[in-house]
Amino acid sequence: MTTSIADAPREHGAPGPAAPWVDTRVELGGLTLANPVMPASGCFGPELADLLPVETLGAVVTKTVFASARPGNATHRITEVPNGMLNSVGIPSRGVAEFRRSGLGGYAALDAPVVISIGGLSTQEYWRVAEELADTEHAAFEINVSCPNLERGGQTLDTDPRAMSEVVAGVVARSAKPVLVKLSPQLQTIGEAAKTAEDAGATAVTVCNSFPGMAVNPDRRTSELGNGMGGVSGPVVKPLALRLVWLAAQAAGIPVVGCGGIRAASDVAEFLLAGATAVQIGTANFAQPYVMAKVVEELPAMARRLGVDRISDLIGTLTIRAED
Amino acid sequence: MSSPATLGVLAGERPMPTWARTQVLVNRPLTDRYRLLRFRSATIAARAEAGQFVMLSPATESGPVLPRPMAIYTRDAGSGSVDIVYGVVGSGTKALAALEPGATVVVTGPLGRGFVVHEETGHVLLIGRGVGICAMTTVAQDLAGTGVRVSAVLSGRHESAIIGAEVFRGCHGDVRLATDADETSGVAVLRERLHRGFDGDPPQQILTSGSARLTRMSGELAARWHATVQVSIEAHMACGLGYCHGCAAGDGDGTHEAPLVCRDGPVFRLRG
Repeated sequence: MTTSIADAPREHGAPGPAAPWVDTRVELGGLTLANPVMPASGCFGPELADLLPVETLGAVVTKTVFASARPGNATHRITEVPNGMLNSVGIPSRGVAEFRRSGLGGYAALDAPVVISIGGLSTQEYWRVAEELADTEHAAFEINVSCPNLERGGQTLDTDPRAMSEVVAGVVARSAKPVLVKLSPQLQTIGEAAKTAEDAGATAVTVCNSFPGMAVNPDRRTSELGNGMGGVSGPVVKPLALRLVWLAAQAAGIPVVGCGGIRAASDVAEFLLAGATAVQIGTANFAQPYVMAKVVEELPAMARRLGVDRISDLIGTLTIRAED
Repeated sequence: MSSPATLGVLAGERPMPTWARTQVLVNRPLTDRYRLLRFRSATIAARAEAGQFVMLSPATESGPVLPRPMAIYTRDAGSGSVDIVYGVVGSGTKALAALEPGATVVVTGPLGRGFVVHEETGHVLLIGRGVGICAMTTVAQDLAGTGVRVSAVLSGRHESAIIGAEVFRGCHGDVRLATDADETSGVAVLRERLHRGFDGDPPQQILTSGSARLTRMSGELAARWHATVQVSIEAHMACGLGYCHGCAAGDGDGTHEAPLVCRDGPVFRLRG
């Protein structure tokens, strides 16, 4: 067993371990990332640059940008559940114009490729955000199709393949950069959703957003969250997300970005083996603000342990276990 | 919690946080319901301003997923140690209570905007209840020996349940206790007592934490004495830095989000 120097007590700024050279680069549909690690949208901000060497990450991802300002959901917005958390933040946004004016610069200064997450309450809104940000400094868009769509009675877009296809194709048409589509965890139809995104021109799909859930306070006889329901994330969802990544990778011919409960280099390996080309880290950032840099630091040793000197050689090499 | 319409964001620099995987030095009962945890971090001890907080969690694989926001109770730049006080109420604080000295915790801080004592202020009145008092002890630490007088009204269930009295006394504060046990903590009784005690010598600033009732009373007292009020509020948090937007101090105005407790607070100006 390998013990990483990253586990030793130290304060931010102390040097990390030297590792044998391993090629950690991955190709995400024409976008070469220095390594497969990026934050999940909403679980990262330029504030984290105070706490970790952000330039070591494969990419950074912004909070989802909407066309207009929106306040987010009622409080309480977060609660802990066993091995995970539940949130109903509701994606507050200052709107695309304000993001362009004062938000994007903070990300652009981080010296890592910037993926802009875009949202919308209607098809036109997604297109408008893409259009208004098309000429800005960024590496890719990620379309958050898990937003409640007002044209479809609040249903999320990816429950309606035709609607999702329309949104994705419209964003692709307005962007010269790669377009990722972040899918919600539809347990039965993830492959179909990934294929729909691919056919509409997406460069990659991110699998997946948080899982719909609820927490109840029996003493108060109320929901724990002000919005009633929320999204479950953290270690508890890792097996669910791994299955969806596996299914999406089987169904689609475009790269998959895995997301769900990742907090160590060994988790990254599991997602790559299941078919992911890159990964997003979300909930783990809260308790360990340096976790993404630590995972990047541990990737070479992990690759060596698994017998490869190119991280990308792990992608999709999982086989189903046969009897020993 | 006060309604967001009454909260104003104080001017000030953004914090300069760091993180540390560091050792628990002390973890012991402080009162019947609260425990004191001391950890080592020279950087946080040196940088922490009065009223700021840290995010803290045990560095264990199976530990709580979310760190817990903890007011900095006292800090000692000399020894590089920081004290926090917590009640054991849920899974996260149960996990903290189980940590032995020498155990590793992950701490991020100092975070948030703390209390601001204005230059012209000669007398500060601190009004706190329960674990909320812990947000204000560092104010007394900083004002000790500066010539600014500190009066502290500390409220709790009974005398031995009150946190912080010895810290305020150690900083030469004028400490007055108000307890449920002797029926001196009710707002009507307390308000009357504070009128008698301070009408002839009113503070220029009231700082409060730990009770919505005491926050409202502080507003009334401030109007009477032409003083200003700052309030430290608590919220569920995930990131502690502002990027997760989990801790809005209310429901916003329909278009814009309410201030975030971690980034814009935890100390706010109470609007009159």
